[in-house]
Amino acid sequence: MIAKLYLQFLKFGAFTFGGGWSIVAQMREIYVKSEKVLTDEELLDITSIGRSLPGTMIGNIAMFFGHRMAGFWGGIACMMGMITAPFVVLIAITSFYTAFQNNLWVASAMKGVRTAVAPVIISALMGMIKSAFKFPPCYAVAVAMFALYFFMRMSPVWLVVIGAFLGVLICEYYERSGKNDIA
Amino acid sequence: MILLEIYWSFVKVGFTSFGGLSMIPLISSEMISHGWMTAEEVSDIVAIAEMTPGPLGLNCATFAGMRAAGILGAFVANMGALSPTYTLCVAAAVFFEHFKENRRLGQIMTGVRPACVGLVAGVVIDLMLSNYVDGGAVSIPSLVLGLVDLVLLLKFHVSIPKVLMLSAVAGVIMFGVMGL
Repeated sequence: MIAKLYLQFLKFGAFTFGGGWSIVAQMREIYVKSEKVLTDEELLDITSIGRSLPGTMIGNIAMFFGHRMAGFWGGIACMMGMITAPFVVLIAITSFYTAFQNNLWVASAMKGVRTAVAPVIISALMGMIKSAFKFPPCYAVAVAMFALYFFMRMSPVWLVVIGAFLGVLICEYYERSGKNDIA
Repeated sequence: MILLEIYWSFVKVGFTSFGGLSMIPLISSEMISHGWMTAEEVSDIVAIAEMTPGPLGLNCATFAGMRAAGILGAFVANMGALSPTYTLCVAAAVFFEHFKENRRLGQIMTGVRPACVGLVAGVVIDLMLSNYVDGGAVSIPSLVLGLVDLVLLLKFHVSIPKVLMLSAVAGVIMFGVMGL
């Protein structure tokens, strides 16, 4: 069982490009449709919890699913299976990158790629903005955290913690004053 | 002990990141403050991570760990980034019903999401300052290519790996062949 879970997640891990949603689609194909060990609703629950906990979403989903199938070690097997292929690929790429970083052609290609990085992050930011502002004070949180990061150079670790704290305050305020109908 | 330092750095990254690109500000500040990567290398790893299988955070962990302390460093970095998974997530699996409708978690996310928007906006400016500026002056070819990329992504919804590949080819032609 443990070995089977490891091998299945090894395969999932090898075919996730960019986002983690493709792994959810693959899990659905195997566990919901063919093996029938999971319902769509359970998969949705696992996904939403995996997403809301800190850390890597698909790592969390793998752990959650494995734990459900075969306890703690099942979870570890899924998690390790999931990271094996990306790990090996990245080790190879990093070695290549380090060796050829100063080669004219590789350096030119990377210089071109670098111009695309800010646009890629901006496009992801557009997606994040949609669900980020539940209450009006959330805008102030975003602006304040931007300023503390960019101008004061505070560590993002602390800023995320402060954000979490402010989130609780904001929600408590709106829930107590009965204005939570937006939520 | 560098391995312990790497592990701890990525524990911090893991516990304060909530999906996708929200970990970039954390990774960027940890890597640059330890001297494990330059700002340009942070851009490169974001691009590489987007073009290869696996989640961005773990790919960054592998890259940074490997650069800092070889394969063992890469492994330790991955284990650090995954630390919320084998602690919090296991707890969540055990107390499943309790976690499913956790009110506090929702409240926390209400503040964390806008905080991440602010942080990511900050890191975008940081990266732009390093990627479009060459020796103190704005590099026009880089800026033009960046604008083309932005239009391809936002207006024509070209996928991220394709945009990155196109930019690599454009880079070889513009900076390599034409020597801009």
